Amino acid sequence: MLAIEHLSKHFGELQALNDVNFNVEKGEIMGLIGQNGAGKSTTFHSILSFIHYDGTINWDGQPITEAVFNQIGYLPEERSLMPKMTIEQQILYLAQLKGQSARKIRSEIDDWMARFEVKGKKNDKIKSLSKGNQQKVQLICTLIHHPSLIILDEPFSGLDPVNVDLLEQAISNAKREGAAIIFSSHDMGNVEALCDQLVMLRKGDMVLHGEIRAIRDQFGKSEIFVTTPWSAVELQQLPHVIKVTSLSNQRYLLRVDDPTAGREIFQRLSHGEYIEEFSQQPPTLDEIFRMKAGNDQ
Amino acid sequence: MKKLWVVTLSTYLRQVKSWSFVILVLSPFIMLAVSFGVGFVSANSAADSDQIAVVSNQSAVRQAYIKVVGHDQVDQRVKTETAAKKALKKEAIKGYLVLSAGQRYQATYHGTEAMASFDKTRLTSFLNKLQTQANVVRAKLSHRQLSQLQQQPIFKQVVQKKDGLAKIAKLASFWILVFMVYMILTTYSSITAQEIASEKGTKVMEIIFSSTTAGKYFCGKILGVLMVIATQLVVYLLGGWASLIAAHHMSMADSFFRDYGSLVNQVIGNLVSVNLLFLFLGVIIYTILAAFSGALVAKAEDASKASYPAVYLSMAAFFATFPFQNNADALLVKILSYVPFFSSYFMPLRIINGVASPVEIGFSLGLLIVAILLLVWYISGIYKGLILQADEGNLWHRFRRGLSYR
Repeated sequence: MLAIEHLSKHFGELQALNDVNFNVEKGEIMGLIGQNGAGKSTTFHSILSFIHYDGTINWDGQPITEAVFNQIGYLPEERSLMPKMTIEQQILYLAQLKGQSARKIRSEIDDWMARFEVKGKKNDKIKSLSKGNQQKVQLICTLIHHPSLIILDEPFSGLDPVNVDLLEQAISNAKREGAAIIFSSHDMGNVEALCDQLVMLRKGDMVLHGEIRAIRDQFGKSEIFVTTPWSAVELQQLPHVIKVTSLSNQRYLLRVDDPTAGREIFQRLSHGEYIEEFSQQPPTLDEIFRMKAGNDQ
Repeated sequence: MKKLWVVTLSTYLRQVKSWSFVILVLSPFIMLAVSFGVGFVSANSAADSDQIAVVSNQSAVRQAYIKVVGHDQVDQRVKTETAAKKALKKEAIKGYLVLSAGQRYQATYHGTEAMASFDKTRLTSFLNKLQTQANVVRAKLSHRQLSQLQQQPIFKQVVQKKDGLAKIAKLASFWILVFMVYMILTTYSSITAQEIASEKGTKVMEIIFSSTTAGKYFCGKILGVLMVIATQLVVYLLGGWASLIAAHHMSMADSFFRDYGSLVNQVIGNLVSVNLLFLFLGVIIYTILAAFSGALVAKAEDASKASYPAVYLSMAAFFATFPFQNNADALLVKILSYVPFFSSYFMPLRIINGVASPVEIGFSLGLLIVAILLLVWYISGIYKGLILQADEGNLWHRFRRGLSYR
């Protein structure tokens, strides 16, 4: 288990992280979200001991030192490999630095390249590969040694939908193998689809933490999707409605300041008659992110 | 240790497999081969016209004279006066000598130019010897008379050749050594600084530092570069040795080794000694400095500027030796022979001139080794911060920012 307690870090006057606490169990995926500069990369750099910090970070009860490095798979935010190396040399080099034997890795490279659909031969130079294929090679480097702690900084950025599926599959496989996975993303769809829990950071403070369903529920069922001949102006007059968004022809999203107002709104709209759509839901993760990030503006 | 070795081997193989390394290592041998080739071809092409022909009515006399002047100086295919005339007309030979043996020995030289005075003296001496032998036989002298006639005046000269040669050897050794140190230092300072600077601020370094410690990675890099330098030195030593052996078997180099063999041996002795250790350790300390300055550049694009501090310091030390090449006992030389970064130039200067005791040499070496170890220890500690930070500020700001990662 990755356990982070009272993690704080400041760079001069800047408080980059302030008393951050969370755990990631083995076989669990944690999403770390927040705007640019919120402290996501600083959290990762602290876990990886790139920087000194206040607080404690333990993996299986031990501080993260060189002895633990072989169990970590890390994908940095910007993709970067050694352009003059071949695919095989690059994977071998980084895997050997993770304590793997060259013979074992050589025997597995073809399989990994096929699994990630890398186009090219293993003797091709990294610089000759397309950006997408370089990203895949970097993912192979992150996962080939079967790490038990996987840290992925914006892994989905720049990937096309097909590659997003491949990556999601790889992350799910790693979870099934029992890895603790923590990744940051700006795409709440990925976070919602993959993560068991999330941490949201804002200016170094942890503003949200918990299971995704629980977080959404804690915001209450404040959204009502409705299909009605009423106009937006008429809908705005309904009790507790604070915002009306037109989604398509006669379909609207009403945001209410009191989730219990749903029953009254339903009655006013239907008059006891058939109504094509009325659905009261908690806000999406994306909306929660915007709400929380909005407080930052 | 395994990860250190992975970094070392990767750095080493990347360098030695590059064309620039192959060219760097082979270029002196290529130049040597080319200059030998040019010398050989020009010697061969000039050989015919520089030769003379020797003809005589007595074959024994002809052979004796050819032996005296050397076989390569005589075109031995020409044996008659008619053939010699033809050869001279065609300018295949520069002249021919007709030796007549009889009661009186006689020599006539036909040539495009007058005979050189050295050749003339040698010929006269040869003929005098033959004439004397013939005269003695004809006079039927007793042993006693003969020995009295053979009395010669005695001329002796004492030349302090050894001392003069030693001085030349010292001077030659000094220049060869400082140039070797300077060339190797500037080459590898540049290679190391660029190697490190090109990784500056790249995310692949984050992957590497999530796999091994920055200290191990730094030491691995330095060891890799040192293995490359050691490879180059071994190639030079083996190549130099092989070239020397080859040169000893070449007739065109015979006279050179006859005249300068002892000088060559002294120079080699000066170079293949503790001076080589100073050279190697000097390269190590400058390589570490170059790695440090490589890690201090603002971004990977500035890699070409990274070697400047190491190269400039090396140049300063190199030029500082010039005024002292004939004054190795000066106080400043003594001081600088103990200062790391300078001692690799100044202590060999003292050693070559025989003005450094074994204790002084050992002390200087000890200081150099301690300085290397301290530098490695210190830079290993801050290396991660220096490499991972990518601030745009000035050098001092970047250094302080790097320290903040500690």
